[in-house]
Amino acid sequence: METFINPKSLFHLLLLPCLLLYSSIAYNSSPVEAAMHTNNWAVLVCTSRFWFNYRHMANTLSLYRTVKRLGIPDERIILMLADDMACNTRNKYPAQVFNNENHRLNLYGDNVEVDYRGYEVTVENFLRVLTGRHETAVPRSKRLLSDEGSHILLYMTGHGGDEFLKFQDSEELQSHDLADAVKQMKEKHRFKELLIMVDTCQAATLFNQLQSPGVLAIGSSMKGENSYSHHLDSDVGVSVVDRFTYYTLAFFERLNIYDNASLSSLFSSYNPSLLMSTAYYRKDLYKRRLEEVPVTNFFGSVMETIHTDAAYKALSRRNSGRFEDEMSLDQSVHHIKRRMLIKVNDGDEIHDINPEGEEGASKCPWSTFRKKFQKAENVDSLLNYGLVAMIPLLVISTWLVQ
Amino acid sequence: MVLLQRPHILLLLIDTHQFLQCWIAFGSANEEGQQQEEFSEELLVKPLPDHKLLAHFHFQSSAPPSTSNGCHHHLFPKAISQLVQKFRVKEMELSFTQGRWNYESWGGFDPISSSNAKPPGVELWAVFDVPQHHIDASWKNLTHTLSGLFCASINFLESTATYSTPEWSFPPASGNVRYGTFPCEAVCTENLTPWLRLLPCRDKAGIALLLDRPSLYRGFYHSQRLHLTSTESSSEGIDSGIILEQTLTVVLQPNSERAIEVHASEKHVQPSWSLSSIFGKQVSGRCVLAKSSSVYLLLDRGLVAELKFPNKENGKSAANGLTSENFWSNPSFELSVNPDRIFLEESSSHSKSLSILYMFQVEKYSESEPFDIGLMWKVPVAWLCQQTPLHASRFLMGSGNERGAIAISLKSTQFTEGFMSANSKDGSCELRVDVFQVVPWYVKVYFHSLRVFVDQQPRAVSDFIEKIHVSPSKDKMSPGVMEVVLKLPCRVNTAALTIEFDKGFLRIDEYPPDANQGFDIPSAIISFPNFHASMVFLEDDSLNRSPLLSKFQDKCPVMSYTEVLLVPLTTPDFSMPYNVSTIKCTVFALYFGSLLNVLQRRVAEEERFLKAKAAKKTGRLPLLLSKLSAKLRGSGINQD
Repeated sequence: METFINPKSLFHLLLLPCLLLYSSIAYNSSPVEAAMHTNNWAVLVCTSRFWFNYRHMANTLSLYRTVKRLGIPDERIILMLADDMACNTRNKYPAQVFNNENHRLNLYGDNVEVDYRGYEVTVENFLRVLTGRHETAVPRSKRLLSDEGSHILLYMTGHGGDEFLKFQDSEELQSHDLADAVKQMKEKHRFKELLIMVDTCQAATLFNQLQSPGVLAIGSSMKGENSYSHHLDSDVGVSVVDRFTYYTLAFFERLNIYDNASLSSLFSSYNPSLLMSTAYYRKDLYKRRLEEVPVTNFFGSVMETIHTDAAYKALSRRNSGRFEDEMSLDQSVHHIKRRMLIKVNDGDEIHDINPEGEEGASKCPWSTFRKKFQKAENVDSLLNYGLVAMIPLLVISTWLVQ
Repeated sequence: MVLLQRPHILLLLIDTHQFLQCWIAFGSANEEGQQQEEFSEELLVKPLPDHKLLAHFHFQSSAPPSTSNGCHHHLFPKAISQLVQKFRVKEMELSFTQGRWNYESWGGFDPISSSNAKPPGVELWAVFDVPQHHIDASWKNLTHTLSGLFCASINFLESTATYSTPEWSFPPASGNVRYGTFPCEAVCTENLTPWLRLLPCRDKAGIALLLDRPSLYRGFYHSQRLHLTSTESSSEGIDSGIILEQTLTVVLQPNSERAIEVHASEKHVQPSWSLSSIFGKQVSGRCVLAKSSSVYLLLDRGLVAELKFPNKENGKSAANGLTSENFWSNPSFELSVNPDRIFLEESSSHSKSLSILYMFQVEKYSESEPFDIGLMWKVPVAWLCQQTPLHASRFLMGSGNERGAIAISLKSTQFTEGFMSANSKDGSCELRVDVFQVVPWYVKVYFHSLRVFVDQQPRAVSDFIEKIHVSPSKDKMSPGVMEVVLKLPCRVNTAALTIEFDKGFLRIDEYPPDANQGFDIPSAIISFPNFHASMVFLEDDSLNRSPLLSKFQDKCPVMSYTEVLLVPLTTPDFSMPYNVSTIKCTVFALYFGSLLNVLQRRVAEEERFLKAKAAKKTGRLPLLLSKLSAKLRGSGINQD
């Protein structure tokens, strides 16, 4: 036994938990995890130009009306319309847009605020809105001023294909561009949760490259499938709505701001035989269970209400939480090393450390490692674990070579 | 708690409301230094000769100089005052227009047409009170702010290639003026709504209640305009603060049921209309914040002459007498509401007959008794509106995608004939015409090729052009600007200016998505500085209070805009680069790949190499395994 445990391997074994702890701390200290849901934003994009694409504008305006009805104010909606259909000379009903041939609902009411329109709807401007990299002169109404507690709904409609979406028939947004923009948004703490909803042909392919946590994506069709329009209005002369959006709206028209319908009920409401395509949703990057998330989380502006006995209670609770964290660190002798590591980190991030995770780590490093590994979404942390996993291989191989 | 609080709030509201009303009512009675913010709303309706109806909304807000009450505003829109303060705007005009003003049938000599007929799309000009080198930066920020404020893509005017600096021909002549137009901008509800939000009552009360979007945009022409003048930063003694003038001019087709029923013989009877039939809404009382709220019905000079109304000689007595038989139940038409006042125009130099203005006070009406004027024609009547001295039109010449020419043609109208006969006593009568033309850089104009045709004869340029200023375009930097002052003889029948151009090439990423549609050349501005379109109505103390009528009295030169030209440019095959690169790559890959393969391949050597590799691979693993087993066995022995 004595010979088996030589000093070299002992050193390696000691190094292992240290590295493990470091990586778990690095993973936990991300401030986004603890941010509360503070506000809702919606970015609604119609990317198609020309009159025969009337339905795409009607899709976008229907969603605009829905999110406005469910409580997102105009200043938190970025509406991008690539062409003017309402006052188009071909429109028999000036200043009106309909999404149904019964003409019961004028989507272009008296209070439409279009932020980007016509030639302004470009891939460049779209990516600028998402990432927030504008010129200084750009007014606030054209910016997505979201923060780390924002839930964002990103709705896009137009003509698309395998891993791309056409903008105005002249440009393309590729799935890599979208994934990069979302990743940049995540790193800039511009959202907490993001729902991307796309109504195009082969919409599902647009999500292939997404890898940022907190992103939920739903598309109207799988790879190789087309998305179809719902019906034609013979008075307007063109198709007025797409199937996927039509059934989405059918779901939302039954709801009001107080309803608790969950996202999973929305997703299960899509009937492939009615859509003539298979609605696809990607939820592997999204941690919460869809049954528990109400649709108003993204499509409305419904905040979680916290009951407090006194004013500013929430703030004081947060401070006390930080204090407890520090106390628990002091109590444990095992944590001395770790505290040194924490000190290296930014002071602001200390309060974000999860106390239970700490204790688990001190008791059994391996179980925490496994737990973390299951939860791991972040590529950086995955890399850390990969490095750690390399160590036993290194030990064995050096031992073999001797 | 809530129940208790409500009445208090209501009381408070009523109190402030009454206070405001009193305060507005006595505002004008205060001293000059204690000026208050004022708002007034007016609507002018005018029948047009071609069975259409012109509705002209005029809202005016004014704010006293900011030194008197800081940045706080009661009625004046804060967004505008902030804009004025931030960018030091001295004067600014922004207009959104859809449709083209028909100068021939709707007239061009009255104040409405010369200051409210605008080119299609967006037109913006601004005068800044900043040092010369800051003007462009201010302009850029202003365009972005306005684009955010009015939901429009005015920010395309920020690039130097889209706006110009008129030297002297543009009316508010000054070195600090910047002028830009964007002809292909769509104008719709989303532009009107923010414009209405600047009004204290929005579109919830008062005359603005009439602005029903579908009936407005169904019209033939609509132009919403915002004009602001600020004298805050001027060094002159007069300090009148900011005056914001918002006008909306619409030309609509009244389609009353009676018009459909009429027989073929009555086809020439003008359609009868009422406000509720054209807008689908009625005015239920005034906006309580407005100082004055009135509706006018204007009968044109030509129409009055046709109706054989009392002219200059006995006009004054008729206006004083206000006999009902003469005015609102006369043989030719009938008004549904009795007018509160009737104004007669003072004699004008350019016309024999005088126009008549009926005024209706909206204050008298309420929710239960809404205001709705209607006009019913009894006899057919045909007349002509007073036209500009010369009718201007512009067209393209030449064919092909390489070059062409722009021609601006001026034709004499019935007005010039009358004017000529009036001035024929002195032989040397001259007509001054100012032409201001901006051309985008990709239409490369050759200014030396400017030619003048008078009465269809080519003439020497120097004979007729008194003054010319030209700034040639720079590629992707600035547009070409041409300002010309023409002196034409009064007897001229036709005059034409032609100028040649070459079509430039754009980079592939500079083409808009609908490049095949063509590119717009903004309207040219033709102005007649010696003619003033003003309407002076008979002196009355109430006249001074009406901003619309005092606006009519201003002597502004007669101005008209020409058509927007659509120039087709050569558009590349946008998929060509992709096709070319794919085909080329395929050919190169096939050629070089196979060639290199043939040249470099040595079959025998490759086989030997592969064999050696296979042998090596099989040898390695057993070696490792044997080593491992040896190690394990060895350690086991040691342990034992």
